[in-house]
Amino acid sequence: MRLALPLAGLALALAGCAPATRVILLPQSDGQASAVQVQSGQSTTTLNQAYDSAVLHTAQALQTEQLSPQAVNRRYSDLLAAAPLPPRRFVLHFELGETQLTADSMNELTEVLFAANLRPGGEIVVIGHTDRVGTQVANDFLSRQRAAAIRELLIANGFDPRRVDAVGRGEREPLIPTEDNVPEPRNRRAEILVR
Amino acid sequence: MLSSRFTPLRIAGAACLLLASQAMAQGAEPAPAPETEAAAQVAVTPGDGRHGTFKTVQGDVTVVRGSVHVAAVVGDPLHATDRVLTGGQSTAAMVLKDGTVLSVGPDSVLDLSEFSFDSTTHEGNVLVALARGSLRMVTGLIAKLKPEQVRVTTPTTVIGVRGTDFIVEQRP
Repeated sequence: MRLALPLAGLALALAGCAPATRVILLPQSDGQASAVQVQSGQSTTTLNQAYDSAVLHTAQALQTEQLSPQAVNRRYSDLLAAAPLPPRRFVLHFELGETQLTADSMNELTEVLFAANLRPGGEIVVIGHTDRVGTQVANDFLSRQRAAAIRELLIANGFDPRRVDAVGRGEREPLIPTEDNVPEPRNRRAEILVR
Repeated sequence: MLSSRFTPLRIAGAACLLLASQAMAQGAEPAPAPETEAAAQVAVTPGDGRHGTFKTVQGDVTVVRGSVHVAAVVGDPLHATDRVLTGGQSTAAMVLKDGTVLSVGPDSVLDLSEFSFDSTTHEGNVLVALARGSLRMVTGLIAKLKPEQVRVTTPTTVIGVRGTDFIVEQRP
């Protein structure tokens, strides 16, 4: 990631005449391209490189400049330190042709509860998925009901109902893409997000 | 069989649906009509309709909801139209329902002006207003589907995103 270089010669870009507004693009954790567009009055600028910065001084047009990662990390150290833990994902499977979870998946649920209880303000999102057999509406309902049943199980085991959600994604996110109405047991699953 | 490392799960109530229900045999039969599905309806324990949750709170952090000021605590909810105030050397981070991360720096005033999210379709919108201080936003599922649905404003600027991680600082 970012190199820890000495702080000598710290960029003065962040000191001196303080701008009214500053926007800084950070690198994306997955390395994907990203951009922000900043608009002020009549002027607009797009930032698309990590550490590009748009600066607005009072009664002036928008300017852009490139900052050093070290200067950004130093100035915004408190803000950047406030970041929450990244989410964890689990996948649960159902017994073939049924709404019953496999034994391994039931074990995974204890792991889910453990992981969520470890986190400050931890939340659980249960996301049901189906294959493409049946209508989209029926699959939305089915996936939602399966997720809701797992959610009730988590609540019955002491988890705060205000911090666990049940979501039905229907057939929208197959693991294995298929034609419509083709059975695919590997797509019939519940994904669990702990964040 | 449950792992001996963990307290075994207690199976109760509607959760029995997972273990005792008949095969809904998806893939083995034509999909049942909605009326048949209704027989398997799970009784749902309600949540609190929140739009986000506090994950980190450092120092003096207050949520203003209407005219009520509440000291923020990790695990507390955030709702659209709430205002978050941070004091000196104080920070907070919240995660919204679509996974958007909002970190708030010291001496800040941040409004979650608008938030809507359909967890099935990922449609929604996020409007955040930073009156002063600093914000770091990491966008989530709403921006992934439609980046134009996510906006941050300051008194002087409007910021649009393209699936991003960025900082905004606003001097008072």
